[in-house]
Amino acid sequence: MALKNWALRKSLWVYHVNTGACNNCDIEVVELLTPRYDIERFGMILVGSPRHADVLAVTGSCTRQSQPRLQEIYRQTAKPCVVLAIGSCAGAQGIFAESYHMGAGVDNAIRAIDPNAIILYVPGCPPKPEAMISAAVKAMELLKEVKI
Amino acid sequence: MSGVDSVSNVSVPLMGFAGQVLSALGDAVIAVDTRNDRRALARIDPARTVEVAKKMFEMDGSRFATATGIDVRDGIDILYHWVFDKVGAVITLKALAAAPEMKIDSIANVVPAANWIEREIHDLLGANFVNHPDMRRLILDDSWPEGVYPLRKDFDQIKDRPPLPPQPPDTGEALP
Repeated sequence: MALKNWALRKSLWVYHVNTGACNNCDIEVVELLTPRYDIERFGMILVGSPRHADVLAVTGSCTRQSQPRLQEIYRQTAKPCVVLAIGSCAGAQGIFAESYHMGAGVDNAIRAIDPNAIILYVPGCPPKPEAMISAAVKAMELLKEVKI
Repeated sequence: MSGVDSVSNVSVPLMGFAGQVLSALGDAVIAVDTRNDRRALARIDPARTVEVAKKMFEMDGSRFATATGIDVRDGIDILYHWVFDKVGAVITLKALAAAPEMKIDSIANVVPAANWIEREIHDLLGANFVNHPDMRRLILDDSWPEGVYPLRKDFDQIKDRPPLPPQPPDTGEALP
């Protein structure tokens, strides 16, 4: 079991979910892959399917239309998985919190599916790539405790 | 209501390029407010929107930019913005979809570019476009109830929110 856990921490694969973001957070997520920040040195790559992913990088304020889709994506992600709520919108719906077309919020929507979900908040509008790297490293620390 | 209605000066000779355009529309124009030669607002007869749209569409160099909806006391004002790029002129034609039915003839059969914006105005403000070719929901989510219009003045952004969409059904599928 320790081997599986070690392997997971060395190769966190990320699936990027946009739940109605303005694309600024998405640009910063892509920035992580550039040589300047080079998130791949931690073994992290962006993958094209939640079935392959260990980390969900969620941006956006979780609109009504995207909420059931986010829940379905979380359900399809292989467990254990870590949710990174990137940006002010994903953390607490940002300036759109009192708008008519908002869902429950990223964290509430995911906790409705899985009450024990691991959710890390990365505040900022948009957050700096350094902040996201810090969150990724914290996620690796958290996964040390998880039994597979 | 805005200044457009208070300035009813159709009898006054219309000046400049905007004046030429509005004169061509004839008596479909009810009231005019010309800001300068290239910017004009006019209120048109709501029963003749299709005829006016056809005339504007066939004018030399005209382009339908977009439409706007405003919730006003007497119903919903639809503002059609027409742009003449070579001249640099913007002509806004207002038509009132009167309460309580809020019906107005759709111009989407004459001006295809108006199709989606009319659907959006129907979604958000509840104006009823008669003879629209494809009046499906455009931008609100699938679980949003019929007959709730979020951009009406009497809609409270927090109190009047409909219940959240249901969770996707659990397939019971075993995950790796």
